[in-house]
Amino acid sequence: MRTDCIIYTILGLLLIALLLGAGCTQTPATTGPSEIKIGVVASMTGPASTTGKDIWQSAELAANEINAKGGVPVRELGRSLPVRLIQGDDESTREGGMKAVTKLITQDEVNVLVGGYSSAVVSAHQSIVADNKVPYIISGASSSAVSRRTDLDTSYMFFHRPNTDDSAEASIQFLTDVFRPAINEKFGFSNDRKLRVAVIYQDSPFGKGQLDAVKALIPAKNLPIEIVAEEPFKMGESDFRTVLTSVRAKNPDVIYAVTFLNELVPMTQQARRDVGLNTVIMAIENNDDPDYYSGVGVYGDGMIMESRFSPYAVPAGSTEAATRKFLSDFDKKYGGFAGMMGAATYESVYVAAAAIEQAGSLDRAKIRDALATIRVPQMMEIMKNGTISFSPEFRESKFELYVVQLAMDQKSGEPRPVIVWPESLKAGEFSIPDWYTPGSP
Amino acid sequence: MDGGIAVLGQVAFWGLYSGCIYILLATGLNLIFGVMKVVNFAHGEFLMLGTYITFFFFVISGFNPYLLLFLSIPILIGAGIIVERLCFRPILGTGKLNEIFISLGLIYIFQNGVAMVFTDEWRSMKSPFADLTIGIGPIQLPLDYIIIVVITAIILVGLSVFLDRTTTGKAIRASSQNRKGAMLMGINVERMDMLTFGIGAGLAGAAGTLWAVSGQVFNPYMGSVPAIKGFAIIILGGLGSIPGAIIGGLAIGMVENFTAFFLGGSWKDAISFILLIVVLLVRPTGLFGEAGE
Repeated sequence: MRTDCIIYTILGLLLIALLLGAGCTQTPATTGPSEIKIGVVASMTGPASTTGKDIWQSAELAANEINAKGGVPVRELGRSLPVRLIQGDDESTREGGMKAVTKLITQDEVNVLVGGYSSAVVSAHQSIVADNKVPYIISGASSSAVSRRTDLDTSYMFFHRPNTDDSAEASIQFLTDVFRPAINEKFGFSNDRKLRVAVIYQDSPFGKGQLDAVKALIPAKNLPIEIVAEEPFKMGESDFRTVLTSVRAKNPDVIYAVTFLNELVPMTQQARRDVGLNTVIMAIENNDDPDYYSGVGVYGDGMIMESRFSPYAVPAGSTEAATRKFLSDFDKKYGGFAGMMGAATYESVYVAAAAIEQAGSLDRAKIRDALATIRVPQMMEIMKNGTISFSPEFRESKFELYVVQLAMDQKSGEPRPVIVWPESLKAGEFSIPDWYTPGSP
Repeated sequence: MDGGIAVLGQVAFWGLYSGCIYILLATGLNLIFGVMKVVNFAHGEFLMLGTYITFFFFVISGFNPYLLLFLSIPILIGAGIIVERLCFRPILGTGKLNEIFISLGLIYIFQNGVAMVFTDEWRSMKSPFADLTIGIGPIQLPLDYIIIVVITAIILVGLSVFLDRTTTGKAIRASSQNRKGAMLMGINVERMDMLTFGIGAGLAGAAGTLWAVSGQVFNPYMGSVPAIKGFAIIILGGLGSIPGAIIGGLAIGMVENFTAFFLGGSWKDAISFILLIVVLLVRPTGLFGEAGE
């Protein structure tokens, strides 16, 4: 009897507590959205999945930071809203990208899109974005043919990456100003000898964009460079032996490789190990990723790469602290370091948040207008004029680019990059590797 | 001229290497089709499993990866037997559509299962002989690829001896030639189905080990393209014909690499199917196929 009393008393107290609790947590009914939905277009599966994961995890890191600080103030609603990321896996294919973006826009009703890696994949879903007028901060798709196309309305698309013309210009400038004089001096070549460049490129808008940019630059600037080979390969290729054999027969001084990360690793290994091609490979910035350094191993020693964000070579200066914090936070949360695409997407989420705050609204047209005029202080990647802003004509942000050279690090057993160009950022001198053999005299 | 011959010789060697992987894959496919008349689209996933088994045991044991063939082949034979018993035997003879959907389902199961365990990062491994080359005339050839060609030849000779000289091999051939006749002669054709499926999977497993040892990258989704080419090869060589699979595999490997050399890498995959169409126009049963297959 006494036990029953105690049980009923406890149950009664619990009921009262629950009712009081319910009363306490009841909040006045709010109208309007309860969160900001950002769609992240990333290749979570398929040939570009390594980079896709990097994109997604970096976006997640940025969203968590923003939410930890109370979310994004939205003036029209009179309160701050948390950011919710929604993943759109483009499966590294055009069709996959179209499906993912359609779902993000029509079913998930995202306010902003960020991400996008492959130029081919992004170009296929641009029309969906244009038709639905959704602001899209694209952190990849470097082909100028994607950002400067005129067959559809790209006014809602903002490109937070250097285009193929920008990165080709930086790479070719390095080859002209540093690489060519170095081999001329080491091998006693005459000063009027042209640098023999072989271009191996992904047969996609990204690869063709780079090839076209390089070919246009040489006559435009009257550079002492000769393209001795142009070898395309299909996206996702892992067997480059025959292509490299063909290139070897042309005796190049340097290979200009326009690849994704998963293509550059086997290409570099097969060049030196299988084909005996003792030529330096100059790679493009999207490969500056921890997975490249761990994958390529000893065969990466001496190779060079144009870059704008390097996980292991942080430029000294105003972006250093933010970069080290990002790398450390990423390492703590996911283990390992993010690559360039991760950094650009992390920044893109912040830019999206800043645009929403500036617009004071979740209206897509107002966010688009805010993006057109936004000026966000540079974060990790070094920007022209120190701010992230978008050019009026094609809405492209402009970066200070640099070149790294890889050298084996005995401690990690992997190559590590050192910035060797330009003068303002360099931390070491470029050197011709001992194993290097130049092309024909 | 010597330089030109050396370059062409090197390209031919890369074609031979590619051909070896294709031959092992297509021979297994053809063996299964010959006996069971089953089209297994998930055959490329056995190749993928072979790469991961090799990778896993290489990392934990540090053994010479070529020795791991003695692990990957038996494990894949076991996996093939289980797949045949659980997935294909219940639907045998119920229609091609069921086989196609079962094999498509298996593709997703294998791919996602491996991605769950190993993640879908691209992986590669380094053979202990990676830096060794052997000069043959004017061509410098990496030792690994020579070993791969020799191992493929040994496996094919072993398979041939097994099929031609042993009672079980003869029973498999009998089941392939006339299933009802074989049953009337007292051959347990269901056991032959199981064994054939296991051997086919084992050959794909061997191809997977050699793929990984050669330094090519792999991830859980890498099996689809080689499998499609495997199907092109068995159609090209003739359905059910083992010599057809060998000649077809070699032809595809050579043609792909010479096309990449002369026309560029973009044409590498397309040329396999152009060759297939041309052969089928001239000889609809494939190079070694017989009418009615």
